[in-house]
Amino acid sequence: MLSRVADSLYWMGRYIERAEHTSRLLAVRLESMVEQSKEDADRAWARLAAALSAEEFTAQSHDAFAVTAALSFSRYNPSSLVSSLRFARDNARQVREQLSTEVWEHLNRLYLRLQPVTIEQIWVHQPARLFRDALEDIYTLGGVTYTTLRHGEGWYFLELGRFIERAQLVSRLLDIHFGAQMNPELATPPKYLDWLGLLKYCTAFEPYCKEHTAAIKPETIAEFLLFDPEFPHSVKFAVDRMRDALAHVAPGAPPQRRAACERLAGRLKAAVDFGQIDELIGGTIDAFLSEITRQCEEIHEAVYAAYIAYGAETVL
Amino acid sequence: MQHGVAAARVEETEPRGARPGRDAPYKDYVLAKAYDEMFAADGSVRPHCAALHKRLSELDSDELARRQQACEQSFLHQGITFTVYSDNQATERIIPTDLLPRIVTAEEWTRVEAGLKQRIAALNLFLRDIYSDCRVLKDGIVPRSMIYGSKHYRREMRGLPVPHGAYVNVCGTDLVRCEDGRFVVLEDNLRVPSGVSYMLANREVVRRAFPGVFRFARVQPIEHYPQELLATLKSLAPYQEDVSIAVLTPGVFNSAYFEHAFLARQMGVELVEGRDLVVNDNVVYARTTSGLKRIDVIYRRVDDDFIDPLIFREDSALGVPGLFNAYRAGNVVIANALGTGVADDKAVYAYVPRLIRYYLSEEPIIDNVQTFLCREPKSLSHVLANLDTLVVKAVGESGGYGMLVGPHASASEREAFAEKLKADPENYIAQPTIQLSTAPTFVESGIEARHVDLRPFILHGEKTTIVPGGLTRVALRRGSLVVNSSQGGGSKDTWVLSS
Repeated sequence: MLSRVADSLYWMGRYIERAEHTSRLLAVRLESMVEQSKEDADRAWARLAAALSAEEFTAQSHDAFAVTAALSFSRYNPSSLVSSLRFARDNARQVREQLSTEVWEHLNRLYLRLQPVTIEQIWVHQPARLFRDALEDIYTLGGVTYTTLRHGEGWYFLELGRFIERAQLVSRLLDIHFGAQMNPELATPPKYLDWLGLLKYCTAFEPYCKEHTAAIKPETIAEFLLFDPEFPHSVKFAVDRMRDALAHVAPGAPPQRRAACERLAGRLKAAVDFGQIDELIGGTIDAFLSEITRQCEEIHEAVYAAYIAYGAETVL
Repeated sequence: MQHGVAAARVEETEPRGARPGRDAPYKDYVLAKAYDEMFAADGSVRPHCAALHKRLSELDSDELARRQQACEQSFLHQGITFTVYSDNQATERIIPTDLLPRIVTAEEWTRVEAGLKQRIAALNLFLRDIYSDCRVLKDGIVPRSMIYGSKHYRREMRGLPVPHGAYVNVCGTDLVRCEDGRFVVLEDNLRVPSGVSYMLANREVVRRAFPGVFRFARVQPIEHYPQELLATLKSLAPYQEDVSIAVLTPGVFNSAYFEHAFLARQMGVELVEGRDLVVNDNVVYARTTSGLKRIDVIYRRVDDDFIDPLIFREDSALGVPGLFNAYRAGNVVIANALGTGVADDKAVYAYVPRLIRYYLSEEPIIDNVQTFLCREPKSLSHVLANLDTLVVKAVGESGGYGMLVGPHASASEREAFAEKLKADPENYIAQPTIQLSTAPTFVESGIEARHVDLRPFILHGEKTTIVPGGLTRVALRRGSLVVNSSQGGGSKDTWVLSS
């Protein structure tokens, strides 16, 4: 596979994951704010803006409208939903010939549908519905991709991008809820509805209840979202899939070029395999979470050095 | 409404404005001076169009509009668009497709096909000749200055053999139909002709829009174009096992990018950009995740000038440094070969009938548009005497620059142009104004006549292949003769019927 193609597929995977995450956060937040007091809701919106690294676009105000506007259809915010979809589509267009017609058309239609929407148009009538619809479209895209694309190298680059992104997004979300107490705006500890929201942000509410009953305990939530081996939005699950994807990309590359990526992925896997929630909850959880994020970045760089941006002279 | 001989009325007093149908959707259909693809001069429906004509009369214009809209939607979703840049905003537009197919009979096509094969054979022999022995120049058939003075002549190609002597592997020849119904060649496109993806995409949507008529008409298939292109490219490789082929594109910002990606996908070959390729020791490689992979044949959609910054334009970021040396060493085949543009400029065009006689000892099967070479004194005096009816074009220019359209120019403009002509006759050619044929086209109010041309795509490697039909381009503005997509042109599906 061409290195440039791998690069585009990898980023396409990352941006689709980011778009999914953003739509879900907005949908859940808009749906649950009706049950909260203004102060609680504003704090939750501030947390959401922080979780999506959009503070610079919401500096003026943390009310529902301002944060939703910045994170949904803003052209200027590179991590808004519509920007993520645009970047995903731009990357898909670069590798149009590698994708199935179904995958491309599904993504293209979704982008063309959302791109002209403005926040003012949707704000009056059930704004959550639009994000729910977008979310369902993105889920469908996942299914279309799974079922129409060859599960070859290109598929694994998509997967790699998706799960590196997921591990980082979930870590960030956990960090905002468990760590980050030094930020004065977030200093007030989350309440019951916030913990419920955190589970829903990760589609984790029902799977969590099945595993741990509806007893909402922050510690159990952290354990579930970090270490559950079977839940698709847990960090451990993402790390396992990342490793699996790395084992399948660049099948013809010599072992010495694969070694760096595999070593880093193995190290990250060891960290989540042997992590203990009771050790973390005592105070080291933010260090642990930022370590995961840092290691994901290292894996990203190793993949680039080994397979994508290598110098021709190093392999001749 | 009936169809057949009695379907249309011609108003005796106004033979140039006949309206072939009184009923919707043909109520505004006016037959002008030009040949019409569906209606004969007396207003009757041509027999091979009867089924389509009847079907269209049955559909109300709302239904037609719905189908037209569905078709445009489908193009947008597929991403068959080009990008227009204005105010720092990039807008994607579709190239309008008209749903009504243009129909060509089997007999007409047989003749066109034979003519195109003859023409590409002669043009390839000509290119081989001017890049090797130059017999045609020594024999005085074509003036030396015309070749050596051409900006598309590549001296780097001198003495360089190409596989099967095939310089032009993909050719798009623009044909137009004259008032008497004959097809003539307007232009050869021998460099990087585009449009074939529209030919295939149009077929997809039109077949869906008119399934019944399509089946009934027994239209010859065109879907095998990508396989034929692949076979042509493969036939150029020095060996036939494990040939590695790539389509070279300038990238996603090129207006034909959709087509490049489409062809690569349909052929199952790699789509590469210049930055994906590296040349080492005169061998071309693509940078892949597993390491470097050798490339044997490049179907390039990048112009000569940009292909290798070491040899041609050094500011080119689209090309591959060292590619030309690898080509010269015989380690990679580039299709089309470099330097083919010398054979499709406006002056050489006028010589093609003579080239066919010279190389093949045959008479041309398809004529050129009558062309006067002002470098020949007899033609020059004819052109000067008839400036009010002719179109005069500068040979080195394109895109309408340095052109005089006689019938539309003022007397003083013509006088001024006559002086330029006399001062530098070698730089000009002249042609009569041609009335392109018209074909039924869906417009807001129903169906009207619009001018069309036809671009068949000719593949030439070890053998010559032409899929039946081509891209019919249509001038969507009433009365306009300009079919270019940049100026309000659209395209249509072309049906070549089985015999």
